[in-house]
Amino acid sequence: MDDIFTQVREGNAFQVRIWLDNTENDLNQGDDHRFSLLHWAAREGRTNIVDMLIQRGARINATNMGDDTALHLAASHGHRDIVIMLLHNKANINAINEHGNTPLHYACFWAQDQVAEDLVNNGALVGIANKFDETPLDKAKMRLANILKDRAVQLGQDLQKVPFKDRSWLGYKTRSRDALLSRHTGIDIAQLNLTSHIATTHSGEVWRGQWQGNDIVAKILALRECSVRNSRDFQEEFPRLRIFNNPNVLPVLACCNQPPNLVVISQFMPYGSLYNVLHGETGIVVDQNQALRFAIDIARGMEFLHFMDPMIPNMILTSKHIMIDEDLAKINIDDPKYYNPDGTVNGIDEDLTARVNMADYKFSFHEKGKLYTPAWMSPEALQRKPADINQKAADMWSFAVLLWELETREVPHADLSPMETGMKIAMEGLRLNIPPGISSHMSRLIKICMNEEPGKRPKFDMIIPILEKLKQK
Amino acid sequence: MATSPTSTLTPKKKEESFLDKLGGTLARKKKAKEVNELQEEGKNAIESPTSPALPDIGPEGYQLDENEERSMIEPQSRDDPKVRELIKMLLDWINDVLADDRIIVKDIEEDLFDGQILQKLIEKLAGLRVEVPEVTQSEQGQKQKLQIILTVINRILQHTPQWNQNKWSVDTIHCKNLVAILHLLVALARHFRAPIRLPDNVSVNLVVVTKRDGMLQPRRVAEDITTTNEDIGARFERDAFDTLFDHAPDKLNLVKKTLVTFVNKQLLKINLEVTDIDSQFHDGVYLVLLMGLLEGYFVPLYDFHLTPTDFDHKVHNVQFAFELMQDAGLAKPKARPEDVVNQDLKSTLRVLYNIFTKYKGQGF
Repeated sequence: MDDIFTQVREGNAFQVRIWLDNTENDLNQGDDHRFSLLHWAAREGRTNIVDMLIQRGARINATNMGDDTALHLAASHGHRDIVIMLLHNKANINAINEHGNTPLHYACFWAQDQVAEDLVNNGALVGIANKFDETPLDKAKMRLANILKDRAVQLGQDLQKVPFKDRSWLGYKTRSRDALLSRHTGIDIAQLNLTSHIATTHSGEVWRGQWQGNDIVAKILALRECSVRNSRDFQEEFPRLRIFNNPNVLPVLACCNQPPNLVVISQFMPYGSLYNVLHGETGIVVDQNQALRFAIDIARGMEFLHFMDPMIPNMILTSKHIMIDEDLAKINIDDPKYYNPDGTVNGIDEDLTARVNMADYKFSFHEKGKLYTPAWMSPEALQRKPADINQKAADMWSFAVLLWELETREVPHADLSPMETGMKIAMEGLRLNIPPGISSHMSRLIKICMNEEPGKRPKFDMIIPILEKLKQK
Repeated sequence: MATSPTSTLTPKKKEESFLDKLGGTLARKKKAKEVNELQEEGKNAIESPTSPALPDIGPEGYQLDENEERSMIEPQSRDDPKVRELIKMLLDWINDVLADDRIIVKDIEEDLFDGQILQKLIEKLAGLRVEVPEVTQSEQGQKQKLQIILTVINRILQHTPQWNQNKWSVDTIHCKNLVAILHLLVALARHFRAPIRLPDNVSVNLVVVTKRDGMLQPRRVAEDITTTNEDIGARFERDAFDTLFDHAPDKLNLVKKTLVTFVNKQLLKINLEVTDIDSQFHDGVYLVLLMGLLEGYFVPLYDFHLTPTDFDHKVHNVQFAFELMQDAGLAKPKARPEDVVNQDLKSTLRVLYNIFTKYKGQGF
């Protein structure tokens, strides 16, 4: 059988694309040695597949069991265009593997002269020593070593040797995911090592736990009673929430369907929801740029969900249903600029990703007749059945509220209870005020997305370029 | 006539020919037929203005023992709009209950006397089986059957035999005495808390005939079929509200006032106000909104009828509010949605008081 890893290695772009289009496939999964698809594509020089994987949100700095990144593999095999591509996508240029080797070590050792030069030009340090106290220059042949040395000096590098420091205990490496994760659908609640109770909300009890070595959150749905029918509907609805192929969608990993317990399992996200990050006390500073990145992330996630046919119903877009993922692997953890003098790591909030949380899907039988977040909902969604409105347009309204929230850093209609909010929006024309001080572009975008006429609201694919432009400014 | 279980379903003509076929073997039937004719004649005589106002006293009426009493309904009472309304409502209810059995009852007197329908009705309502022959044709068989059924009914209603004796008996039911049938049905509707609001204070005028010194002496008596509706929801174990209603009606207003204050504190947030607790909760709208306000959610307007127009809308709303209450951990309301919709004050107060008890101390 040709599995997906073989397809990637052999460069069957068509097959890989088909595989990636299946929502249940996790493009960040690793094989037995935790080589990800990106690792294999980089190693075998499949440029088009590397490109495809990056577009789909592959983790650039995921490591295999030897702590190699894709860049290590591309560098040692001399795939110059892939090295450049990875570097443009924030690959960690000075990442060290279990031997303490950087990609430059390998480029030097395998005499990939061009690649080595590219690496140095892009900031690879020539002085990093591996476990055996060897720098890349020690690994290179004389001629190459001299060229690199000169280039480094030109670029103002301090040629002083950087001694090897074992930082693996920091736990900041992100291995490729356990491929088993996306293969499981129903599991036994007893297998979840539920360790601590996080919260009890209107929708259910939330627990932290471990499952097959992964940090997970398990939400036990709150139900007055769990009927056979509920269990059947649950079984029918949850598989669609296992969306692994989009970086801005956080999938439901699996579910336990064991009446009276219906449990939804997803990855643990230490920062919690966007709502938490914006209005809670996480201490994370969300600057204007990060806010825009979040907006773009959410728009991409929604664009993806709107593209599904049939669409998944009952996803209510609010900041509470957006999770903030720290893509730690994106950070150049070995890059000195991230280190404080005392050795602690800073700048972790640099590269946070927003992801639409499928675990917040509202099951058809769950919390019937109750809407806890009307402030984010369009007037028509409060009044008419989901089947009777344009769901995509209604989501766009919710997105506008999110933009407003990201700009003002306020909770929409914070002074009103949900019932008051809903009645006033639906019956009395209550709307959000766009305060002065918000850029005229953003204010205009919010107004367009919040058009009273659902048909006149834009689509997500139309506003992503606008948001990108705003970010560049 | 007595042969068909649902006699109006069978055309009369057919029945007669069937009887004719039985011929001499069922002489008793023939006699009954004669009696019917006599009855008809008597009726006509009464209704014609010139004749003395002697009411229809039934076949047995003519064979009274000395000092024995018989009562029958005064013909005008039958046309009383309230009585007609009551009859129609009871018929609709019975048909509703028996819809699954594909039984349609059209005439309250003609269709119930033989016990067949009553058997089905009590079986359905009480969820039991009464062991009687399915179809009986002989009068005696019918009466035996009726006896069994009425015993079952009386046991369920837990009435003393004397009490029942006054209202209905095998004989009165079997001879299609409208008053007895109405009493029986009203008692059943009340007991099983039929989801209908029976008209208040329905009474019929009876003519009671006593035989004295060989002479029939009539007198008129008004007989109450229903009184006020206080007792619709009264089938649960007695609680504080029964006591309140029975023993301290003066305190009722105080309770109402407390509840109105509590409710308005919530509803005013969405610019609504209750002034009359008796009539403003029956459509369920305020109950739904109240639950949303207390529990911290918005109820999408497509899940209930914000401006209900008919009975079904209102029942849906109240039913829905009950669901929300149970989701919130409140006990299942003892009242039925229909009771609240029918503006039964006691049921409405019980529901509100239940909510009040849970939320009063939570600083709302």
